[in-house]
Amino acid sequence: MIRVDDQEVQWFEGMTVTDLLKQIGYEGSCAVVRINETHVSRPTFDQTLVPDGAQVYLIPMIAGG
Amino acid sequence: MLTPLHQQAIASMSYEKPDLVHGYAGQTLKVDLTDRSFEIKPVTREMKDTFTGGKGFDLWLLWNAVTGETAWNDPENAVCISSGPMGGTPIYPGSGKSIVTTISPLTGSVMDSNVGGYFGPYLKFSGFDALEIVGKSAGNTVLYIDGESGNIQLLDMNDLPEESYGLSEALTEHFGGPDRKKISVVSAGPGARHTYFGCLNFSYYDGRRKQTRNKQAGRGGIGTVFEDKGLKGLVVKCTSFSVDTNNPADKDALKTCAKAHTRNIRELDPKQNEMAKGGTTFITMIMNDHDLLPTHNFRYGQHPQAKNLAADVFRRLFDPGFDGCWYGCSVACAHGVKGFVPTTGPYRGQQVFVDGPEYETIAGVGSNLGIFDPYTVLEINFYCDAYGIDTISFGTATAFAMDCYDSKLIGKEQTGGLDLSFGNRWSALTLLHQMAAGEGFGVVLGKGIRKMKEFFSREYGADAALMQDIGMESKGLEFSEYISKESLAQQGGYGLALKGPQHDEAWLIFLDQVHNLMPTFEQKSENLHWFPMIRTWFGLCGLCKLPWNDIVPADNDQTEEPAKVMGHMKLYAEYFSSVTGRQVTPDDLVVMSEKVYNFQRLFNLKMGFGRRTQDRIPYRAMGPATVLEYESRQKRYDQDLRDKYGLDVTGLTTSEKIAALREKREEQYEKLTDAVYARRGWTSDGIPTLATVKRLGIDYPEVVELLAAHGVRE
Repeated sequence: MIRVDDQEVQWFEGMTVTDLLKQIGYEGSCAVVRINETHVSRPTFDQTLVPDGAQVYLIPMIAGG
Repeated sequence: MLTPLHQQAIASMSYEKPDLVHGYAGQTLKVDLTDRSFEIKPVTREMKDTFTGGKGFDLWLLWNAVTGETAWNDPENAVCISSGPMGGTPIYPGSGKSIVTTISPLTGSVMDSNVGGYFGPYLKFSGFDALEIVGKSAGNTVLYIDGESGNIQLLDMNDLPEESYGLSEALTEHFGGPDRKKISVVSAGPGARHTYFGCLNFSYYDGRRKQTRNKQAGRGGIGTVFEDKGLKGLVVKCTSFSVDTNNPADKDALKTCAKAHTRNIRELDPKQNEMAKGGTTFITMIMNDHDLLPTHNFRYGQHPQAKNLAADVFRRLFDPGFDGCWYGCSVACAHGVKGFVPTTGPYRGQQVFVDGPEYETIAGVGSNLGIFDPYTVLEINFYCDAYGIDTISFGTATAFAMDCYDSKLIGKEQTGGLDLSFGNRWSALTLLHQMAAGEGFGVVLGKGIRKMKEFFSREYGADAALMQDIGMESKGLEFSEYISKESLAQQGGYGLALKGPQHDEAWLIFLDQVHNLMPTFEQKSENLHWFPMIRTWFGLCGLCKLPWNDIVPADNDQTEEPAKVMGHMKLYAEYFSSVTGRQVTPDDLVVMSEKVYNFQRLFNLKMGFGRRTQDRIPYRAMGPATVLEYESRQKRYDQDLRDKYGLDVTGLTTSEKIAALREKREEQYEKLTDAVYARRGWTSDGIPTLATVKRLGIDYPEVVELLAAHGVRE
């Protein structure tokens, strides 16, 4: 089990960030997620595994500067 | 305990400290160092209505201090420092900013830089909305504004430390005694004296660590002007204060919006970017992943070793704790490293505290120089601050010199024997120490990229066209640390910025390149109007913009325009209304900024700039300037030529493809410029029209005359 923002989500072995977003039906424009304390960007969503028990946050916007 | 300092008063004046009314002290202080005089001037109703405060007041004072012929080192050039009507509010996040303006040694025109620390609010609470310093002193001069007793002094202090950390500490102890929290110091350092990109350090006393901390007004060489005036320090002593000190028009409404914004940040920062734990360091890897992190003088946007400079590395190094640079700021992003031991320079082997680094410094003196060692980043950060040098200009200018070295435009015979290969951290540190000492190749580099280009071409016959393409400066100011090649909107954000390519006007890379939220010229130009105006507004009011859009409301994604974070903009409108008593909406904030923004553009025109030709940017900011760069991302560029511009690239050499892409991208930039000028109400040469200045109420006779002199009569 993992938590995405405030919701519990079923975890499976080999789950990537892309899998996770698909599983929760996310349709927003999130380009960055945070897994525990590490930021992960869209270009690496396919390769980044989500560990079991992770707290994941969908970062709504990167505003910069 | 530091050694006692000796001071000799060379001028003094007592004054009656006014009670603040709705965020304003109602007066400004002018100090003339040449004739050692003080003048207190009233803040008029018109000043407030037209210029609001902060940068607006600074610009008005500076405009009246200089002529179009004033050079940065002329006595009449002024260093202006102000807070803003909301500045100093101790319950609303990010309300402690100061804004500084002057005529810049790098650009020859108006420069502005915003900074944390306590000086601006303390200045206002001591009775002055803005401070204007003109003239020159013999050196070793300290201006002391004692807001407790209502006394202003110019002091001669001969035995002060040279560098900024020592200066801040010594002056804080000397004037603060046991009450060091009441003191804020502004100082520069020896590097500011010997370069054109000197910064100013603004101090605040960190009671928990029992030491003086510094924040930097970095951009454009304001510290250089400060040193040229013979100033060693500005010191203000402030009495105790509270939310009542600003005398807000509606205290209950102020408390309500402050509480709402604070709650948002406290609840959401832990779920978003954790700035309270790591500041802006999280940006590094996000930029790297999106090919936006400058490496090797902006050639590329990512590097396999970038993870050595990632947030988790610096979070392990930061001294933990809640680190705001003003009271009541729940963003608390002002982190630092305790017990760092430099390996070079005067502090070699001693334990020091490093204020930072922030993202810009990490990218500027790290990845852009090919240096992926966090300890070297810390050491350069520390010495830049101690010497009074802007980390962004130091990084970007050194990257340019390294690129020239790598491209064989210069060699060891020109660098005084220094190996300037990318990644050579010892050479980077040596250059920094040379700048402080005023010797060696560091002095050449310290004049900035524009001067280096001229010098290398004139003295060494270096390829001027190539240097123009790869020298990352515009208007004379070095670029801040983002790759803009694939974002036309960010190219405009850099090139069309008033003071030069700093991202504080418009940071549109993600919206444009990553989210594709502005595909048309009209959308880009609309955003290149709205964002610079809103970002300007924070500088008018004494505010930091980070609480606006670096932490966003939970429902922001469901709003019509998430990038504008209107949930927070509504709170800011309420904040302004509650303090000043002027009832405003978020749309009104844009108009407030338009007045000042256009005035600053006209100020550039007055100084001989402010036209289309000055808004151009080096080609490396638009696309691949060299074969190496093109071929590193060949698939992307080939596809761009094929799909976007319908060019069959089969059989073309890389040089031919570079030329074809360049033609298209430069054409796009010119079209964007046209669209933005039209949206802003400017002529095709980038000058505000008479109709625009009339609409904004800035049609002063001198302005109308200036426009007429440039053929603008409608």
